[in-house]
Amino acid sequence: MLLMLAWPVVATSATNGADATVTDNNDTSAQAGLLLKMQAAARELDYAGIYTYQQGVVMISSRVVHLVDGTGERERIEILDGAPREYIRHNDTILTLLPERKVVIKETRTVDRFPAFLVGEGKQIAEHYDMVVTGLPERVAGRDCEPLVLKPRDEHRYGHILCIDTDSHLLLKAQTVSASNEIIDQVAFSNLVMGEDAAAAQVNASWDTSEWTEVEAHLNSVNLFDMGWRIPQPPGFDVIAQVSRPLRADARVNHLVLSDGLAAISIFVEPFDPDRHSMSGQGGIHKAGLSVFRKRIGDFWLTALGQVPAETLRDLAGRIEYVPLAR
Amino acid sequence: MHVVRKNEHDADTASWEAAVSAWVDGEDEIRAEDLDTPYGRQVWETYHLIGDVLRNEDLAIKPSPMFYARLSRAIDDEPTVLAPRALKRPRWRARVSGLAVAAAVAAVAWVVVPRLAGDPALELQPLPAAQLAAAEPTDDTALHDYLDAHEGLVGVVPVRLVSYGTGVQP
Repeated sequence: MLLMLAWPVVATSATNGADATVTDNNDTSAQAGLLLKMQAAARELDYAGIYTYQQGVVMISSRVVHLVDGTGERERIEILDGAPREYIRHNDTILTLLPERKVVIKETRTVDRFPAFLVGEGKQIAEHYDMVVTGLPERVAGRDCEPLVLKPRDEHRYGHILCIDTDSHLLLKAQTVSASNEIIDQVAFSNLVMGEDAAAAQVNASWDTSEWTEVEAHLNSVNLFDMGWRIPQPPGFDVIAQVSRPLRADARVNHLVLSDGLAAISIFVEPFDPDRHSMSGQGGIHKAGLSVFRKRIGDFWLTALGQVPAETLRDLAGRIEYVPLAR
Repeated sequence: MHVVRKNEHDADTASWEAAVSAWVDGEDEIRAEDLDTPYGRQVWETYHLIGDVLRNEDLAIKPSPMFYARLSRAIDDEPTVLAPRALKRPRWRARVSGLAVAAAVAAVAWVVVPRLAGDPALELQPLPAAQLAAAEPTDDTALHDYLDAHEGLVGVVPVRLVSYGTGVQP
């Protein structure tokens, strides 16, 4: 199922930088400021609602409750379709509740979920995306919102169309758009209450987990570059995380994440295991906007994946090297 | 709701039907002698007739208000299931597409359960539903773990939605 759309035909705020004017810079910073307000709204406001994520034929709705009090952020995300699952967050402590297994997974990490949309602070977004305000308000979940188009300046990433609540600057809708103007996926609130109306919503777990199995998932910080890995980053992509983590019950893997503020690429490095890693599995896969590239490098198996065009991963994987450090 | 019943008048037929409806809804009382009237007997005959109609389409007629009264009663008569959230055979699987089932299950198989390490029966494993019918299940399964880890750190929504068969790129 392809959803086609045309990029809005309005003057862009900047092109390739060569002919940027003072006015363009002002527009750009205003729009960059709008993105920061959008991110801040997701973290600082009280809201509760239901949003639906759609990709191809799959739709998954979630209920979110986000409340801020003297102790920081409290958030509950309840997956409404399919297997019941709930995420309870208090600042950076996240509990994942799996009621069918009666398991609670506890982790400590920073993660931003919709409507927090940027990865990290997103400061470099303006360098790699044109930001276009169409000026034609739309209506999502019964609220007026302002569309903001993030059009990629190169072929290494996808574009996005956002709709930002006019009053609160909360992100109400986001669509990922490919170079051929296909909508790869989208997420939008279907209903939303804010402020005092949200304050009464339930932010605690839906189940009594006192009898459940508790598991702590440990992500240890690592530095792949110190280990000898040379990972040239695609333009605009910075390293935002490097951890060692369990991949399955019996294996650990090093996991590095690159992001340009909107798109994210994960690179997994693990020892090559002929039982699990097939040389014929090398190469690229691309489906529904997600690209995967796998490759053997020396004694290691590398898996790269992310919501970027396939060539971005192929180029990246082709230039990753491992140079064992001399002792 | 108190309803005055008079049997002869046409205008009172509506109030009579309303009374029956209220009675089957458990909202009001009905007198047995009211049922022993030409109209009352018709009500009861209708109840039985509906059973026949369901079994034989030739008897089907346009539903009357009595139909809805019976339907209402039948729903009320449904036994209440008092079982707690028993998820043995989740009904949602019938409604959600196979792709969403497999993807949304996203069992965090990568998590080690330290206290139970070495007990394979208790190791977290992907649920059988995660094995897709699509193209190459082994390819899909192999990528589940990586996709889970990726979505867990940076996903817009915290569940993996893409199910992977062998793709297009060489």
